[in-house]
Amino acid sequence: MLLCYDRGFVPAGRHAMGSEATQPEKADQALGRPWAAAALSLGLLLPGAGHVVAGRWRRGVFFCSALLALFGGGVAMDARLALHIGLDDPLALIIELGQIAIGLPYLAARALGFAAGDVRAAGFDYGVTFTATGGLLNVLVALDAMDVALGRRP
Amino acid sequence: MASHLLSLLVFSGLVSAVFAALLRDDPASQRRFGTRLFLGFVLSVVVLGWLMAPLPS
Repeated sequence: MLLCYDRGFVPAGRHAMGSEATQPEKADQALGRPWAAAALSLGLLLPGAGHVVAGRWRRGVFFCSALLALFGGGVAMDARLALHIGLDDPLALIIELGQIAIGLPYLAARALGFAAGDVRAAGFDYGVTFTATGGLLNVLVALDAMDVALGRRP
Repeated sequence: MASHLLSLLVFSGLVSAVFAALLRDDPASQRRFGTRLFLGFVLSVVVLGWLMAPLPS
């Protein structure tokens, strides 16, 4: 009897544990690995683009607006956008990698001449915090878009 | 943006909104979680600011 139960004498689409009952439904919503890879890559390039690829355009527009506001606000406060290569100041390296993680907006800001910043400005430190936080949040948002495309998140 | 308080409010609002959308699924719990996170940011900064006030700059 137990052996039969273990072998899966459970109607198709149902599971013994209540929490697993929604797994087939989630699998139905999955877009597949290529779409998940596309959502992750595009999400890292442009905030919110991963969610648009995964079919959650409203959430994508929201993330795009919020993260661009954070990053743009930081640039407006004269944050410096330069990559410091070397391990003599590891904290600065982490912060600058965080800034880069926002993707294309980082390159656009540099191309438009905002790379130098102004260390004498009142908002310089705040600007660096805003830009680095925007980039680091973009990594979480892109990973969330991948999970949505894989059907792990609604 | 010269105001420290305004910077704090903008930063806390944006970060709380993003985390609420990431970590909660339905709108009601997103609003609740985002509000609590925002208040946590602002109140903790104000309390820490007052605690550090006696320290030499």
